[in-house]
Amino acid sequence: MAKKAAKKIKILMAKPGMEGHWRGLVSVSNALRDGGFEVIYGSNMTPEEIANTAVQEDVDIVGLSIMSSNYVMLFESVIKALKKAGKSDVMLLIGGIIWAEDFDKLKKMGATGVFPPGTPLKEIVDFVKEKTAALA
Amino acid sequence: MAQDNLSPSGIPIKDIYTPEDIKSLDYKKDLNASGEPPFTRGPYPSMYRGQAWTARRLSGFNTPEETNELYKEEYKLGQTGFSVAPDMTTCSGMDADDPRAAAEVGHAGVPFSTLQDMEICFAGLPIDKMSTYLADRIGGVLTSMYLVMAEKRGIPMAQVRGTSANDLLAWSALNLLNQVGPEAELRYAVDLIEWCAEHAPKWNSLSIDSYNARDNGINAVQEIGLAMSNGIQYIEEEKKRGRVPLDKFVRRFSFNTAVHNDIFEEACKLRAARRIWYKIITERYGIKDPNCAKFRVHVQSSGSTHTYQEPYNNIIRIAFQVLAGVLGGAQSIHANGYDEAICLPTDQAMLLSIRTGQLIQYESGVTRTIDPLGGSYYIESLTNEIEKKVWEIIDEVEAQGGLAKAILKGWVHRLYRDAIVNYEGKIQTGEIPVVGVNIHRLDKVPYEVPIFKPDPKRSTARQIEKLKKLKKERDNAKVKQCLAKLEEDTRKGLNVMPATIEAVRNYATLGEICALQIKVYGEWKHPMSI
Repeated sequence: MAKKAAKKIKILMAKPGMEGHWRGLVSVSNALRDGGFEVIYGSNMTPEEIANTAVQEDVDIVGLSIMSSNYVMLFESVIKALKKAGKSDVMLLIGGIIWAEDFDKLKKMGATGVFPPGTPLKEIVDFVKEKTAALA
Repeated sequence: MAQDNLSPSGIPIKDIYTPEDIKSLDYKKDLNASGEPPFTRGPYPSMYRGQAWTARRLSGFNTPEETNELYKEEYKLGQTGFSVAPDMTTCSGMDADDPRAAAEVGHAGVPFSTLQDMEICFAGLPIDKMSTYLADRIGGVLTSMYLVMAEKRGIPMAQVRGTSANDLLAWSALNLLNQVGPEAELRYAVDLIEWCAEHAPKWNSLSIDSYNARDNGINAVQEIGLAMSNGIQYIEEEKKRGRVPLDKFVRRFSFNTAVHNDIFEEACKLRAARRIWYKIITERYGIKDPNCAKFRVHVQSSGSTHTYQEPYNNIIRIAFQVLAGVLGGAQSIHANGYDEAICLPTDQAMLLSIRTGQLIQYESGVTRTIDPLGGSYYIESLTNEIEKKVWEIIDEVEAQGGLAKAILKGWVHRLYRDAIVNYEGKIQTGEIPVVGVNIHRLDKVPYEVPIFKPDPKRSTARQIEKLKKLKKERDNAKVKQCLAKLEEDTRKGLNVMPATIEAVRNYATLGEICALQIKVYGEWKHPMSI
C-alpha cells in the first residue's frame, strides 16, 4: 500500500481580461500540471468568476495571465473580488506583458510572483514548488 | 544529410537540392507565368513591377477621435490603406457602457459603439482614394457602419473599397465573451458575402484569416490547411443556399496569413497556397473565370515570434518576415511594431514598421523581377511538399464535415493546444532557438525601450458620455423597430444585412445588435482545455 499522497496543491489559471491571447496561459498551465500540481484551466473569466471558482474549488493559488496594458486595473479587480468572496488568503501569481517598472507595484499589491514573457517554464514551476513547499 | 533537419512544418530538408528534386515539375502546369493559372508565381501579371504591395498597419487606440489623428499621421507617412483594429470591447460585441467592458474600452484598439464612432474615426480622410480593412467581427456590423458612413459622404456603397475580416476561423481562435458558435458564425459570414456580391462589389467581404490560428502555435502547413478548409466551407454553404452564383460569390475572397520566421518555408507557403486555391476553385467547383481562382493575400509578421527580451531584435525578425512575404508575392503587408511584446506601438515603432516595407521596396532590390525564388530546386521542391501536406489537412477537416464542425467538436482547439505545448516545449529545450531568450541570453537587461501607455480611463469616460448623449438624441422608436426587424430576419433565415444596415443607419449600437445574435443563437464557449 502506497504511502498516503501529500495534499496536491491546487491552482486556478485564468485570464481576467477580454483579450484572446491565451497561448501563455495554456503553456504555463501545462507546465504546472506536469510539475505535479492540480491545475484548473479557467481560460477567460471575469474577476467575480475567478473569485467564485477559487472558493468553490478551494484553490491554493490563482495564476493570472494578461497580455494587455490594463493589468494593474485587472489585478486590482481580482484582488477585490477575492476579498469579497472571502478568499484573500490565496497565493497570487501574475504573468504576461508586464513592464519592469510595475513589478514592485504588483508585488506590493499582493503578487507573490511576477513572470514576464520569455520566463523559462521551469523557473515558474520551481518558484511555485519552493513557495508551496510548506503547504504540500 | 544532417539528421533531423526539419522545417518548422516538419518537412525533412536536404542539405542540398539538385535537378533530381524537381524533375517531375511541369512549368506550364505547375508554375506558369505570374498572372497565369495556377498563379503559383503570383496572381497578377506584373506583380511588384507594376505596383508594390499595399502597406497596411493594423492600428487604432483609445478613442475614435485619437485614432482619427493617428490615421492622418499614417496617411502622411505614405501608408496606402487603413487597417482598423477594434478594441476588445468592440470585438466582443459590447458597447463602451457595457459593465463587463469597463477595463477594456480603448485597449488594444479603437472602440466603435455606433455609426457616430465610425464617422469620427474617418472624418477628413480620403476614403474615396484608399481602401480600408476592418477587423470586423462576424455579423457585418462594423462593415455596415463603414458603408453607411461612406454613403453619407456621397460615396455609393457600390464604389466603396475595402475588406472585412468576417471570418470564423479568426474569431473562433480567440476566446471572446459574447460570441456565437462557429455554425452561427458561418451563417452570418455568408450573409455578408452574399450581400456584398450584389450591392458592394468592390468590397472584399471576406478575408479568410489564419493569422490568429497561426499565432496559436500551429505551423505553416496547418495554417494553410485550415485557411483552405475555411474557404471550402463558405462555398459549400452557398452551394446549399443557392442564392448567388458561385463565381460571383467567391470573386472577392481574400486571405490574411501570418509570416513567421522561416523565410523560405513562408514564401513557399504562399506559392503553394496560390496553386491549391486555384485547384479548389477550378477543379473542385468548376468555376471557369480564372479571376475567381486568384489567392490574394495580406500578410502580417507573426506577433508570437516577437520577444520581450531585447525588443530591438524584433526589428530584424520583422524585416525577415516581411521579406518572406515579399518573396512569396503578398498583395498587402503589415509589419508589426517591434515593441508588440511590450505595448501598443510607440510613434517610433509605427514609423519603423512603415519604413521596414519601404526599405525592402526601394533599397533591397528584391522587387526587380517577379517571383525571384521561382525555379530554385529547393523552393520548388518545398512548395510541392507543402502542397502535398496541405491537401492531407483539407481531407482531414472534410472528413469531419467541414471546418465549423471541426471547431465545434474541439478538433481545431486540440490542434492549437498540441501545437502550443509542442512549440513551447522545444523552446524550453532550446530545440527552437530564440536569440536573447533561450540562447545568448544576457544576465542583465541591456537596454530599455520607450513604452506607449494608453489612457484607458479617459477613453471609457469619453465614450460612455458620447453614447449616453446619442442614445438620448436618436429616434429610439425607430431603433426598436429596426432591431425587431433584424431579429425577425435572423430567425427566418433571411440575409441579415439589409436589416443590419438599416439598424446601424439609425444609430442602433453594436451591443444591441450583438445581443440579438446571442438571443437567437446562444453564447458559445471556447472549447480549449489543457
